This record gives sequence, structure tokens and C-alpha cells, in this order.
Amino acid sequence: MIGLKPGQGVAEARAICPTLDVVEEDPMADRKLLEAIADWCDRYTPLVAIDGKDGLFLDITGCAHLFGGEQALLEDVLIRISRLGLDVRGAISSAPGLSWAVARFDDSRVVPPEAMEEALAPLPVASLRLGEETIAALQKMGLKQTGDLLAAPRAPLARRFGAQLLLRLDQAVGLVEEPISPRRPVAQLSVERRLAEPVQAEADLLELARQLADTLKPGLEARGIGGRSFELLLFRVDGAVFRIAAGASQPLREPKRIAGLFTERFTAIHDDLDVGYGFEIVRLNVLQHAAFDATQGDFVGEGRQDSSLAAFVDRVAARLGPDCLQGFELRQSHIPERAARPVPAMNVLVASRRTGSDHAGHGFFRGERPLRLFRTPELVETVAAEVPDGPPRQFRWRRIMHRVSRAEGPERLSAEWWLEEKEEPARDYFQIEDEEGHRFWLFRKGLYGRGGTAPDWYMHGVFA
Amino acid sequence: MAEAAVARETLFALRETIARLEGRPIPALAAAAHEKLAATPATRGAGLATSLPELPVLATGVEDLDVAMQGGLPLDALTEIRSLGLRDAGAASGFTLALAAQVGAQAAGADAAAISPILWIGDTVATMEAGLPYAIGLRDFGLEPTTFLQASPRKLEEALWLAEAALGSAAFAVVILEVRGNPSRFGLTESRRLALRAKAAGRPLFLLRQGGEEEASSALFRFSVEPAPAQARPLPDGSVLGGSIGHPAFRLTLEKSRNPAPLSITLEWNAHDRRFAPVSDVQHPAFPGEHAAYSGADLSASADRPHRAQALGAVVAFDRQA
Repeated sequence: MIGLKPGQGVAEARAICPTLDVVEEDPMADRKLLEAIADWCDRYTPLVAIDGKDGLFLDITGCAHLFGGEQALLEDVLIRISRLGLDVRGAISSAPGLSWAVARFDDSRVVPPEAMEEALAPLPVASLRLGEETIAALQKMGLKQTGDLLAAPRAPLARRFGAQLLLRLDQAVGLVEEPISPRRPVAQLSVERRLAEPVQAEADLLELARQLADTLKPGLEARGIGGRSFELLLFRVDGAVFRIAAGASQPLREPKRIAGLFTERFTAIHDDLDVGYGFEIVRLNVLQHAAFDATQGDFVGEGRQDSSLAAFVDRVAARLGPDCLQGFELRQSHIPERAARPVPAMNVLVASRRTGSDHAGHGFFRGERPLRLFRTPELVETVAAEVPDGPPRQFRWRRIMHRVSRAEGPERLSAEWWLEEKEEPARDYFQIEDEEGHRFWLFRKGLYGRGGTAPDWYMHGVFA
Repeated sequence: MAEAAVARETLFALRETIARLEGRPIPALAAAAHEKLAATPATRGAGLATSLPELPVLATGVEDLDVAMQGGLPLDALTEIRSLGLRDAGAASGFTLALAAQVGAQAAGADAAAISPILWIGDTVATMEAGLPYAIGLRDFGLEPTTFLQASPRKLEEALWLAEAALGSAAFAVVILEVRGNPSRFGLTESRRLALRAKAAGRPLFLLRQGGEEEASSALFRFSVEPAPAQARPLPDGSVLGGSIGHPAFRLTLEKSRNPAPLSITLEWNAHDRRFAPVSDVQHPAFPGEHAAYSGADLSASADRPHRAQALGAVVAFDRQA
């Protein structure tokens, strides 16, 4: 109104308006706001892409009728966002390029497919999303409006300004398809409820989730699949959007089990979920799915144990995180810490179903292994050890002196040179019993007489 | 006559109530057994519990222990296993896992197809002090690592919730809950809650208390476990291999049971047969080929009195040297 515009210097702006409030630019915060608005726009379509620093593309193909047509949808978006306190402009057309141009250089409106060229023609060439140099060159040539370009012969234009100009022109009038890149993968299946009154209570939200899962079930059944990973989207009335994800160890269809996942998730994130004035839209997405083997309930109840284990694993994963509960994956390695690797229980369940119980061959002759193994071997101080390759007579571990009464060993384990970059010394393992009956697994790293220093001894585990 | 019958009926009902409260075999479950039980209350001991299928027990195979536990370890209750310090954690874990292996073996004997998993709920500090359960070692110990799940909750509340949820799901053959010391947030209320949950689910819960004091709890039985020197490995000709370390041995004290006197026994665990065997408490003889742990001369015991007067109480700190 008073002559302020983007790109102006602070001094000039202050000269026009002395009371101007100057705030330093914060690109991160701007970006965050834009992403929050993009999240909010998920209510219109799952295909939302961020454009530059200040724009959003919404692919509303097949969505407009849900909001009473394109005009109504556009008005709804603009009114709601401006109520959030933002200056917003928008346009709907058959091409993203044209929408971009109209929204930025014209009024907010819907451009019908037959009037695309008319809409584009009066706009300045800057509306074609070109580089600054090209725009300057075009203006120098007297090509001020897009209509001039549309009328001009194409071959000289391409020769002079490159293919990019023509591509942008074609994209703007819809001759070339232009894909937008959505921020998130589109859910396989999605159901939502729009509420007349916002809900706040956790129990109500869970009940809604169960109802949504009920609605989801026929869709899953028709495709012969079950969901492995679900996402519950909560749209708060003031525009904030919460995404709550929950995974399952086996494909799920049962509404109760799906809702049960979110019961645990809600308990886990209880304090982080700011309900505020309540949620107006609740949506349930299926992010991952897998083939669902239909099972017939039997009278014996043999399958029950399997399913109750899976249900337990899912509950724990939803509440305490997927890494809390772990199973073992056995591997072909003679290095103790590599022979068994902890993996999340969810994966163990899936793997055991796929391959049956595998017996990784640890058939080579070896000594007994301890019941509990330390994450990293602990250094012990040996007072006396039989040189060159006997067990220690005494050792100090955690400030307590242990006198060795008996020892079995050594069992020499060489490093896996085909895996390691640096050559590791071999370890000589001893099973050691002290005078009180504690049984330990000690090893000596390296040999005596190499390099002058005596090798270190480590505690690696305890036996029963 | 009728009065006597009514009185007897009342008596039975009372006995039944008491038995139920105490979690003992209900004496009058079978109506036909009424007379016999009333006539010979002495048989209500070791033999009876195993004959009643309603009360699942795990017979450890060690007669003294089974008699003391009136048939065996109850499989629908909370059992506490305690080690005196964190350095005995290996022995206590070993005994607990050995019991779990026996439960698994018993279940597999009944139904070979269904191998129920075992859940180990570890304590953070105990894990740092004594390490994580090790899959290969578990296999050596008689357990199946593919059906062994371990949970590492960050807080005690999470651990309790896990134990409760695991018992409630009835998916596990055994749930082992490891706690360290005597945390105040795990008191009588919580243990009662877990015991009731175990009872309702009909699954055993082993509470593995590492380095804890004796404490009132709802556990029917409480063991304290100390390590004991293992026997030497036996050779085919009947002798033993000098200097070798055989089956792991535990010095076990049944601290809490229905018997007033604590029972102490030393057991060894045979991982191949998945059986316990009692060990006579005599120290294993030293073999000539076996080197002594400490070859230096022991100090001779003082002849008539300690070298100085013993102060009353424990020594907390030594005097500062001038």
C-alpha cells in the first residue's frame, strides 16, 4: 500500500515507514512453517509438494468433488489459511505451471482447461519460472508478456533462449505433463473421519481409530492384504497435525488389534501429544502392507499362542519402541560377539515364519560359551600368568582380586582377516573358576614376546 | 449324625478356603477323596501335589528340594531367586535359566511341536555389570536361542509393565524379570500384583533379584543362590579329569517356603540331560597334577588370639595415615 515490496533494502523501507519492525530472516523457521502448512494441506489431498521457499503444490486430481467442486475447494483453502493469519493466494488449473503463474501474478481463481492460453497470455514472462538472465534478455527483446512468446515462432526462440523456455511454456499451457514430487509416499489405503465437534479425550480418539479400522477392513479384505505399518493423522483445529505411526509384526486386519497398537502408542507419547482445543479430522493410513494368510479359527486353539506372541510383541514395540524387545540372529562366525546378533523381535517373528527355525551351523569344535557376555570385553589386571600361554594365577577385576583355582584352555580364536581391515591379534580364551566358585571367561589378546609389552587380559563373560 | 456331617462339611470348606489362600493343593478337590484325605492328612505331602493335574508344578528331580517344595516348583506363581551380590549374578542367572530350560523340556515332552518362547526382562545396571544373555551360551546351557526373547526396558516401571503384559498374553513358557537390589518402587504391592497375574495366566514368573536383601514379597518360594566350585569332568572309566571344570554348580538355599527351616543344598546342572543333580558338599579333592591357585605359603593361623582387638561393628573407613 505504502510502497513496501519484497527485495527492498532496509534503509529505503525505513525511509518510507519509520516505525517499521525489522526482523532478521530465519530460513529454517520459514521452512518449518511451510512444512506445517503442507501437513495441514494433507486434509485436501495426500499429494502435497513443497515449491521453493513459499509455495505449495496440491495435486487435487479426484479430490475436488469431496469439497463441492474446484471453486469451493479453492475458497475453502484460502479462507482457512487466511484465518490462520497468513496472506495466501492460490489458483487451480490443469497444469502446475499455469497455477503457479496465475496464483503469483493474477487473482486467485480457477482456470478452466479450455481457457488456459487466455489466462496465461496477459501475464509477465516472469510467470514462467525462468532464470533471471533469461527474463532480463526476454524483456530486452521487448517480449514482456507470455502472450508475446506464445505468438512468436518457436524455432528462433529455442535457438536464442534454449530449450528450457519452450519447456516451461509448454508446461504452462499443459502440452507437457509436469509431475510434482509429493513430500510423503501415498498411503496404500486411507480412511478418515471429519468431525462436527472437535474431540479431545484419548478414549474418544481410540474409539475413532477403531471405527476407522472397521472401515478399513473391507478394503484390506478386497485386496487380500493386511497392514504392517499404520499411521494415525490427527488434525488439530488450530492447524497443527500429529502423525502417530505404529508397526505390527504380522499383517493385521482385525480392527481391535489395530486400535490396540494405538492404545499403546498413546500411552507412550502421552505427554508429547498436545490436544489443545481438540482434533477435527482423524485419518488412518496404511503405509505398508503384506499378503494376509486367512486363518480359520480352530477348536484346539493352536494358532492362538502364535498370535498372542505377535500381539505382545506389537504392544511392546508400540509402547517402548521396536528395539526394546530383541531376539537373536545366529551367524556363521567364530568370533563370539559376531556369532549372535540381537535383532528386533518383530523381525525375528517374520524371519522364523519365512524360513522356519534355522540352525546356523556352529558345529565346529569349540569350548563352552558363557551364559552372559559383556558388550565390550573389560580389561583385567593379571598379577601372575603362566608364560607363554597359560592361564593367570590371580587377576584383579573391578578392584577385586580373584584367585584362580582351575582353568580350562586355551582356545585360540584368530581374527577374521577376511573382514577386518586392520590385523587383530588372536585371542586365547580360558574358562576360569576362582576359589569361590565364580566362573569367568577370560582371554589374552595377543601373545607374549611380541613387541616388548605383555599382552592384555580381558574379561568377556560369566558362566553360570 | 446330620449335625456331624454339616460340621464336617463346614470344616472342609474352611480347609479349602485356607488352602486356596495359601496357594496349596486344595485338599477336597475330588469329592471322593474327602474321606481318604481327612483320614490320612499325612499323605498331603510330596506325592499328592503331583497327582493333582490342576496344579502344574515343575519337579526339579532333586528329591530333597521337591519334598521341601511339596512336589516341585509351582508353574503358576511367582518364584524369587536372589543372589547376594552382583558378582554372583552369573550363578543366579544360571540357576534361573536352568529352571527355565527344565520348564521348556517338560513342556516339549508333553507336546513336541509347541515350543513356547522364554522372555528375559533385563535390568540396565545388572546388564552392564554382568552382561547380556548370550545366544551360543544359552544353547550350550540347554535352551533354544531362537525362542529366547530379551527385553531391555529403561525403567523399572517399564519392566513391571512388560512382565505383566507378558504374563497376561500367556505366550511365554517362562517370564524372567531381573531386578537389581531392593528398589522401593517394587514393593509388596507390585509383587502381589505380579503374583496374581501369574496365577491368573497359569504361567511361571521368575523374579531374579541381583544383589538384593531378603524382603517380604508374594513369592511362594525364594531361593538364594551362590556359586559353588564345579565338580571335575568325569571320564569314561569312572575317574575324573583332574583340573577340569565340569557342570556348573550352585549352592542353593531355599529361604522362603512352607517349611520353617531353610534348606541348603548344592546342585549341579547337567545341560545335556537338562537335569539337576545334588552334589555332596565335601570339597573336591585336590589332584596331584592340578596346580594350586596360589602357590605361595598361606599365613599360619594365629595361635591364641587375633593380632589386635576387633573393633565393634564394621570398618567403614581406615584412619588417615599421618
